[in-house]
Amino acid sequence: MLDLQNFPWLTFVILFPVAMSLLIPFVPDQGDGKTIRWYALVVGLINFTAIVYAFCTGYDFAKPDLQLVESYTWVPQLGLNWSVGADGLSMPLILLTGFISTLAILASWPVTLKPRLFYFLMLAMYGGQIGVFAVQDMLLFFFMWELELIPVYLLLSIWGGKKRLYAATKFILYTAGGSLFILIAALAMAFYGDNVTFDMRSLAIKDYPLTFQLFAYGGFLIAYGVKLPIFPLHTWLPDAHGEATAPVHMLLAGILLKMGGYAILRMNAGMLPDAHAYFAPILVILGIVNIIYAALTSFAQRSLKRKIAYSSISHMGFVLIGIGSFTDLGTSGAILQMISHGLIGASLFFLVGATYDRTHTLILDEMGGIGQKMPKIFAMFTACSLASLALPGMSGFVAEVMVFVGFATSDAYSNTFKLVTVILAAVGVILTPIYLLSMLREIFYGAENKELTSHEELVDAEPREVFIIACLLIPIIGIGLYPKLITQVYDATAQSLVVTLRNSVPRLAKEANPTLGFNSLELKSAPRITVLE
Amino acid sequence: MDFAYQYAWLVAVLPLSAAFIIGTGLITFNKSTNKLRKPISILSVSAIGAAMIIAFGILWSQIQGHEPYLWTFEWASAGDFHLSMGIVIDQLTALMLVIVTTVSFLVQIYTDGYMAHDPSYPRFYAYLSLFSFSMLGLVVSPNIVQIYIFWELVGMCSYLLIGFWYDRKGAADACQKAFVVNRVGDFGLLLGILGLYWATGSFEFEQIGIQLNTLVESGAISSFLAGFLAILVFLGPAAKSAQFPLHVWLPDAMEGPTPISALIHAATMVAAGVFLVARMFPVFEHLPFVMNAIAWTGAFTAFLGATIAITQNDIKKGLAYSTISQLGYMVMAMGVGAYSAGIFHLMTHAYFKAMMFLGSGSVIHGMEEVVGHNPFVAQDMRVMGGLRKYMPITSVTFLIGTLAISGVPPFAGFWSKDEILASAFTANPALWFVGWLTAGLTAFYMFRMYFSTFEGEFKGTNAALIAQVKAENTPPGIVVEDHGHHAHKPHESPLSMTFPLMALAIPSILIGLVGTPFANYFEAFIHAPGEVVKAVSGFEMLHGEEMTEFLIMGGSSVGIGLVGISLAILMYLQGKISAKAIAKSIQPLYQFSKNKWYIDELYEATFVKGSRRLARQVLEVDSKVVDGAVNLAGFVTLLTGESLKYFENGKTQFYALVIFIGVLGLVIASSV
Repeated sequence: MLDLQNFPWLTFVILFPVAMSLLIPFVPDQGDGKTIRWYALVVGLINFTAIVYAFCTGYDFAKPDLQLVESYTWVPQLGLNWSVGADGLSMPLILLTGFISTLAILASWPVTLKPRLFYFLMLAMYGGQIGVFAVQDMLLFFFMWELELIPVYLLLSIWGGKKRLYAATKFILYTAGGSLFILIAALAMAFYGDNVTFDMRSLAIKDYPLTFQLFAYGGFLIAYGVKLPIFPLHTWLPDAHGEATAPVHMLLAGILLKMGGYAILRMNAGMLPDAHAYFAPILVILGIVNIIYAALTSFAQRSLKRKIAYSSISHMGFVLIGIGSFTDLGTSGAILQMISHGLIGASLFFLVGATYDRTHTLILDEMGGIGQKMPKIFAMFTACSLASLALPGMSGFVAEVMVFVGFATSDAYSNTFKLVTVILAAVGVILTPIYLLSMLREIFYGAENKELTSHEELVDAEPREVFIIACLLIPIIGIGLYPKLITQVYDATAQSLVVTLRNSVPRLAKEANPTLGFNSLELKSAPRITVLE
Repeated sequence: MDFAYQYAWLVAVLPLSAAFIIGTGLITFNKSTNKLRKPISILSVSAIGAAMIIAFGILWSQIQGHEPYLWTFEWASAGDFHLSMGIVIDQLTALMLVIVTTVSFLVQIYTDGYMAHDPSYPRFYAYLSLFSFSMLGLVVSPNIVQIYIFWELVGMCSYLLIGFWYDRKGAADACQKAFVVNRVGDFGLLLGILGLYWATGSFEFEQIGIQLNTLVESGAISSFLAGFLAILVFLGPAAKSAQFPLHVWLPDAMEGPTPISALIHAATMVAAGVFLVARMFPVFEHLPFVMNAIAWTGAFTAFLGATIAITQNDIKKGLAYSTISQLGYMVMAMGVGAYSAGIFHLMTHAYFKAMMFLGSGSVIHGMEEVVGHNPFVAQDMRVMGGLRKYMPITSVTFLIGTLAISGVPPFAGFWSKDEILASAFTANPALWFVGWLTAGLTAFYMFRMYFSTFEGEFKGTNAALIAQVKAENTPPGIVVEDHGHHAHKPHESPLSMTFPLMALAIPSILIGLVGTPFANYFEAFIHAPGEVVKAVSGFEMLHGEEMTEFLIMGGSSVGIGLVGISLAILMYLQGKISAKAIAKSIQPLYQFSKNKWYIDELYEATFVKGSRRLARQVLEVDSKVVDGAVNLAGFVTLLTGESLKYFENGKTQFYALVIFIGVLGLVIASSV
C-alpha cells in the first residue's frame, strides 16, 4: 500500500516526466504525433496533479524552512547527495513550472516535425526545471542547471525559425559561459573551511570572509545575470526568443528566466548576505537600466517576438529592484513579479505564436487590421498586454506596486537615491504602455491589410487556444484581485530571508522591521468614519 | 435604510456581473451571443437600474443624516505592511453613486437606439457595464490605492471604448493617445502616493492630511517637499480631468461612439479627477501654493478650452472643448477652496453635458440618414442647420443644455457657476476675471453651436458643400466608403434615444435649485471635511451685503453671458455680422484657435518624435555595440585559436579557418 504521507513527492515529480519521456519511443504512433501528444499531455497532467497534491498535503505556509525534504546519499566519493526540498522560494516556482509546462505541451499541438523527439525533450525539460527549483545540493543544482541547457538547445536548433542555429549557439555559449562561474564559486564555497559540503543549508551558515563573499557573489551574479537576464548580458535572449516556437517560448519566458531570479535570491542573497549589502545598490541600478533600456529597445523593435522578448527583460528589472530593497514588501514583490511574469510572459508568447501561425509574418509593418478577422485573438491579446503593462486587477500591477512601495519605504538607502530610483523606475510605467499599445495598434487596429489577407487565411482562435489563455488569465486575475492567494505561500520564507539580509548590515540590524520615513510620530487614528453594525 | 448599506457592494458588483456574463458569452459562444441582442441590453440595463435604486436609497439615507459607513478587508500584506480595500459611503460617495448610476442607466437605454445597427452591439454593452463597475468602484474607495486601481480600470475602459471601432485609424490613434497621456498623469499620481506613504505611513485621505500637516508644522519635512508630493498627486487628476497641459487626449477621444462621449468623456470619468481632488482635499488645503497652482491650472484650462471651442466645426469636438473648459471651472473651484461649489458644478455639468452629448449623437444619427455614415461629414455643423423642424425633442433639450451651460438663470449651470465665480472673487479677483471672461465665451460658442445646428436652412442636401467639407475634414490616406440611406431629410430619433434626453432635461433645468444662495441645501450636505456649514432652515432672503454681492456677481456673469448670446444671435441666427469677415480680419488668432493653439503639433514634434528617435538610437546601441561586442568577442577567440593551429598544422586547418570566418561573417552580417 502506498504511504502517501512519506511518499517522496519531490523526487517523484522530478523523475516521473523524465522516466516517462524515455518511454516515448515505445508509444505506438501513426507518425503524425497524435498519440504522442496525448501521451505527453497526460504525463504532464499527472505530474502537475502530483505537485498540487504534495503542495496541499505536505506544505505548511507558516514555516519558513525547507519542507518535503528528502535526502539520499548518491555518490559518496564526491560527497554528492540527492537532496531535495521546498521552501517559500521554491514552492511557488515549482507550481508555476508544473502549470506552464503542462500548458506548453497543450500549446504544442500544431508541432508536426519529429514529434517523438519534441515531446521527449519537453518532458525531459519538465523534470529538469522542477529539479532546478527543488534540489538543495549545490553540485546537484549545477548538474540540473546544465542538464536544462541541452533540451533548450535542441528545441531551439531543430524547431526554431530561420536563424535558429545562430540563436541556439549563442544561447548555449552564453549560458555555458555563465555556468563556469557557478561551478567555480560553488566549488570554492564547498571547499572553504573545515567541512567539505555541497549541502545548501550548510553552505549558507558557513562564515565566509568578506572578500571571498564578494568574489563568489560576483561570479554567481554573472551566471544568473545571463539567465535573468541583466543588462548587458541579455543579448542572447532576443535571438533565442525570436527564433523559438511558441511552446518553447512559453518555457523560456515562463520558467527559464525565473531560474536566474530564484538563484540570485537563494544563493547570492541567502548564502552571501554580507556581499549582498555591497552589491544591492548595483542590483537596483541594473534593475533601472533593465527597465528603461529594454523598454526603449522594445519600442523600436519591428519584429513582434523580439518586441515581447525585450519587454520580458524590462519586467525583470523590477525583480532586481525588489531583491535590492532590504524590505519584506520589496522582496515579496520581486518573487511575485517572477510568478506574475511567468504567467503573463507565457500567455503573450503563446499568443504571438498563435498570431504567427495565421499571418506567417512577425514584422509589424506587414500586419495591420487583422482584428476584424480574429476578434477572439484580438481580445485575448489585449487582455494579456494590459496584464503586462501592469493594469490593476491583474498580477503584474500588484507585483510592481509592492516593489515600488517596498523600495520607497526602505531604510537602507538615502532619500535621494530612493527618489531617483523610484522616479526612473516609474518612467517604465509610461514606456510600457507606449510599446505594448503601439504593438496592438499595429497588429489589430486600422483598416484591413489587403496584402496580408489576400494570401493568408486568418481564422479566429480555436477552443484549445482560448482554453490555454483562460487557464493563464485565471491566476493572473486571481492574484490581481487577491494577492494573498500566492503571497501567503512564500511570505514566511521571504521574511526570514530579509531578516538575514538586514542582519548583515549593522545599521539595519537594530531595527527588526523596515521603518517609514517618519516613524517616530505617532499615527493618529482615523476620526470621523465609523463602522456600522 | 441600513438595508441599503448591507447591499452597497451590489451597486458596483451588479454591473460587473453583467459585464462578466456578456464577456464570457462573447469569448466562448461568439455567434450565438451576438444574436441575443435584446436579452443582453435588458440584462445590462436592469443591472445598472438595480444599482441605481440602491444608490438612491443610500443617498436618501445620507441626506437623513446617517453615519458614514465603512467596510474593509485585508487585501495585501507582507511583514508589517497591511493594505485594506473596501467600501466607504459618505455624503460625497452617495452623491457620486447617484450621478454615475443615473447617467449610466440613461446612456445604456440610449445605446439601444444609437447602436442598433452596429454588429458589435453586445460587446458595447459589455464594455459599458465594465466601465460602470470601475467608476462605481472608484467612488466607493476608502483609500488612495484603491482609487488608483479603479482609476486605471476606468482608463482601460476608456481605452477600449475609444478604440471601439477599431477599423478606423482615427480611433486606433486616439485610444492609444488617451491611455498614454493618462499614464503620464498616473506616473505622477503613483509617485505622489508613494511619497505620501513614505512620509506619513498611510494611504487614507484624512490620515495623510493630518500627518502631513503635523510633519510640516513640526519641520520634519519642508513645506516645499510636501507641496511637491501634492503636485505629483495632482498630475493624476490633471490628466484624467483633461487639464492643461495634459488635456490633449480628450478631444481625440471623441472618436469613440457618442454614448461613450456622454458617459465617460463628459459626465463621469473625466470628473473623477475633480473627485480625487475633493478626496485629497485634507492634503491640499494646508498647502497654499499647491491650491494656487490647482486654481490657476483650472482657470487657464477653462479659458483655453473656451477659446478653442469657438472655432470648431465638428459638433462633438466643440462639446469636448467645452467639457475641458467646464472641468477647468471645477478644478479652479477646488483650488480656491470652494469644495462644495466644485462638486455642485460637477453634478450639474454631468447632467446637462451628458444630455448635450446624447443630443449631438441624436443629431449625428439623423444626419447619417442624409449624408451617409461618414463621421467626417455627419458631425460637421456646416452641413447641418434647420434641424429644429425635423428633430423637435432633440432641439428643445439641446437648447435647455445650452441655456444651462451659458449660465442663464434659473437653469442648473447658473447656480453652480455663479457660486464658483463668487468664491474665486474672494480668493483672487484675477481668477474671477478669467472665469468671468470664459463665461462670456461659453455663452457665445454654445449658442453658435445651437444656431448652426438647429436654426436656419438645412444644408445637408447641398452636394457641393458636402464635397467641400469632406475634402477638408478627411485626413490624407483615409478612404471612407459612403454607405447610408441617403434620405432627403433627417428624422427624429427613436424613443429609446429621446427618452434619456427628456429625462436628463429635468435635472438640467431644476437641479441647480438645491444649491441657491437663498437655501443652499447642497452645501449643507456636501462640504469639505472639517468645514463648518450652517444648517439650512428653508428659504430665506439674503440680507444687506450678501444680497448685494449676489446681485453683483450673478448680474455680471449673466451680463457677459447675454453679451455672448447676443453676439451669437447677430452672427449665426440673423447673419447681421459675418463670421467669415471677422475670422479673416483676425486671421492669425482664428488659425491659432482653430488649430487648438498648435499644442498637438508641439507635442508631436517633441515628445512623440523625440521618444521614437531615442528608442531607435537605443536599439542601434543594443544591436551594434552591446551585441556587437559579444559577436566580436566570439570572433576574436575563434580567430586566435584557429590561427595558432594554422601555424602548427598547415593546410587543412587553414581551410577550416576560412570556413569559420565565412560562417561567422555571415552570422554577424545577418544579425546586425
